[in-house]
Amino acid sequence: MDAITTRLTACFQTVFPALPEDQIPSASQASVPAWDSTAAILLVNVIEDEFAIEMDFDRLADLDTFERVREYLGEQVGGGVAH
Amino acid sequence: MKISEALKVLQSVPREGEPFEAALVCGFTPLHLETLLGARLQQRLSGRRIAVAKGLFGDTAGTLESLRGARPHAVALALEWQDLDPRLGFRAAGAWNPAAVADIVTSAARMLDRMGAAVEQIEPGVPVACCLPTLPLPPLFHTPGWQSSEACVLLEGSLNDFALRVVRRPGAALADTARLAQNSPPAARFDLKSDLASGLPYTLAHADAVAEALALLLVPPAPKKGLVTDLDDTLWHGLVGEIGPENVSWDLDSHHPVHGLYQKLLASFAEEGVLIGVASKNDAQVAARALARPDILLPPGKIYPLEVHWNPKSGSVGRILKAWNIGADSVVFVDDSPMELAEVAAAHPGIECVLFPKSDPAACLALLRRLRDWFGKPRIAGEDALRLESIRQGEAFREVESGGGAEAFLSQADATLTIDFAVSSSDARTLELVNKTNQFNLNGVRFTEGDWLRLLANPNAILAAVSYQDKFGPLGKIAVLAGHVDGDEMRVNSWVMSCRAFSRRIEHRCLQSLFDRCAAREIIFDFRPTAKNGPLQDFFESLTGGRPQGPFRLTREQFEEKRPLLYHRIVETESTSWMPSQPA
Repeated sequence: MDAITTRLTACFQTVFPALPEDQIPSASQASVPAWDSTAAILLVNVIEDEFAIEMDFDRLADLDTFERVREYLGEQVGGGVAH
Repeated sequence: MKISEALKVLQSVPREGEPFEAALVCGFTPLHLETLLGARLQQRLSGRRIAVAKGLFGDTAGTLESLRGARPHAVALALEWQDLDPRLGFRAAGAWNPAAVADIVTSAARMLDRMGAAVEQIEPGVPVACCLPTLPLPPLFHTPGWQSSEACVLLEGSLNDFALRVVRRPGAALADTARLAQNSPPAARFDLKSDLASGLPYTLAHADAVAEALALLLVPPAPKKGLVTDLDDTLWHGLVGEIGPENVSWDLDSHHPVHGLYQKLLASFAEEGVLIGVASKNDAQVAARALARPDILLPPGKIYPLEVHWNPKSGSVGRILKAWNIGADSVVFVDDSPMELAEVAAAHPGIECVLFPKSDPAACLALLRRLRDWFGKPRIAGEDALRLESIRQGEAFREVESGGGAEAFLSQADATLTIDFAVSSSDARTLELVNKTNQFNLNGVRFTEGDWLRLLANPNAILAAVSYQDKFGPLGKIAVLAGHVDGDEMRVNSWVMSCRAFSRRIEHRCLQSLFDRCAAREIIFDFRPTAKNGPLQDFFESLTGGRPQGPFRLTREQFEEKRPLLYHRIVETESTSWMPSQPA
C-alpha cells in the first residue's frame, strides 16, 4: 500500500469508524450508508487536514468512491507528499 | 482542534457514561460546529456521553421556542446576523437597497425580542451559553466600510438589549467578544465558499473557537480559592527592608503602576471572597508599616494570614494552606523570584506558581487577565463576603481545640444551625458548594445544573442547606445534603460541608437532624473514597470504627453511641413532601 493510500485509509477510518478496514478500498457513497452529505464534508476536511491541501469544491460531487478520491489525491499531491 | 481530532474524541465516548444532551441552536448548517462542540464538551466532561442535538436550519427563534418545557442538560446558542433577518446573510435573495435596510432593522429588532423571550422561557436551571454574531455584516449599508451607518448602530443597539436579557437570566452566560477575537481573529472567521456550498459560514478554526467558547461557558472550570503573594517587587516595587516602608511604590507617579494594578485586582478578589495571604521574606514590623500606609490599594484587613519572616516560603505557604484549610490545587502563588516559585512548587504539588513580571507591563497585564480567569466566577454569593472572617474564626477554634478546651469553647459558642429543608433546587449557592467542596465531600461527584435538577426532581428527594452562626459571626450556608427517602430507609447521594465549618460538630448535628426528621433506622451513604475526602473518611471512621471503601449503612444506634455532645440551637425550615412520619 502506497503512502497516499495508507493516509487516505486513515482518514476514512476517522470519519467512518464502523467501516471495516478491508472494505475501505471499495467504499463508495452507494455502499456506505453513513457517507451522507454531512459525512462527505467532514471527509473533505479531514483529508484537507491530513494532506495540507484545499480540495476543489467543484470536483466534490465526483469524489464519491475511495478510489476516485485516491486518484484525485494522486493528481493533487503526487507520490511525494511529506508526512 | 482539528476536525479529525474532534472525531476521535467523540469516538472515545464512554458507552456506559451518563448521557449529557446539549441543544445546539443556530440558524446555519452546524456541520463542524456540531462536531467540535461535542468534542469540546466531551473533553470537559470526560466521563459523560455527550450528544449534541440541533434544530431546524434557518429557524433559530423557533428552535429556541421549542426548548420551552424541554430539559436538555445545556443549551448552546450560536447567533449570526442572518438569524435576525435572512437578508443579513449571503444566501438569501432579498434586496440590499436603502428601502430594505429600514425594514431589516425593524425585523431584526422584532426577532431579537422574540429570541430574548424564548431564552427567558427555557426551564430554570438549564444552563444557556450564547455567542453573539461573530461574522461581519454584509456590505448592504450606504456608508463605506470604514464608517458605521445609523442602521448598523440601531442593529447593534437591538443586539445589546438582547444580550442584556441573556446575561440577566440566571444560569445564562454570554461569550466575551474581545476574548473570542483574541482566539479567532475577525478577518479569519468567514468562509463564503463553505457558506454558499454547505450553509456553514465558519472557517474550521473559527468553528472551533466558537465551540470552545460555548463549552467553556457551559462547563466552566472550578474557580481557585486562594492567592498567596510575595511583597517586595510583587505587591509593591522595591525591597522594603532596604529602602524603607515610605519608599516602596506602586503608583503612576513612581513609574511602577503595575504593582498598583495588581493590588487593585487583589482587593477586588478579596471583596469577591477570594482568600489573600502573604508569604514574604522580610522583617515583619517593617513590612507591616508598608502595609499600613494609607495609600495602599489592598487593605491589610483583607489579608490573612501574613507569613513574614526569614524562613523558607514553602513552610509559609504550608501554614497558609492549613489556616485556610484548602488544598494546594485551589491556590495560586505569585512571586518575582523563580527560585522561590520552584521551592514552593516542589513542596506543594498542584499549586499554581506564577512569576510576577515586574519589568514587563504587557506580561503584567497578561498575568492580571490570567488571574481573573482563575478566580472569576459567574456570580457572587452573600457567603463570599463572609469567607475571610469565618477562616479567622476557624483558626481561633482550632487553637482552643488544640489547647484541650474544645468542649468548653463549643458549649459557650452560642451556635445556631439553620437546616433549610425547603431550599429550592435551583438555589445557586447550594450547587456551587456541592461542586467546589473537596475535603468533606461524600463521593466527589460533580453535577451540572441539569443533573442536579434531575436528581432532585424525584418526589422522594430531600435537599437540605445548612447555615451556621455563633457569637463570633455568621459562616453563611456551609453544608448541603441531598438524597431520597425510600420507606424507612434514607439514602444520601451527596453531602458536602465547607472546610470553614470544620471542628464545630456540624456534621454530627446534620446526621442527628436527619435521623430525627425522617425517623430512619439507618442511613445509606453513597460514599466513595477520593484522594481528597480524607476529613470525611475520618468522620465516618469515628462513627463506624473503620474507613468505608464504598457505599455503606449507618444505623441510628451506631451513630448515637459515638455522637459527642452537641450544643447547637437548631432552626429547621419545613418541607414535608418527603417525610414518612412526623419528627421523632
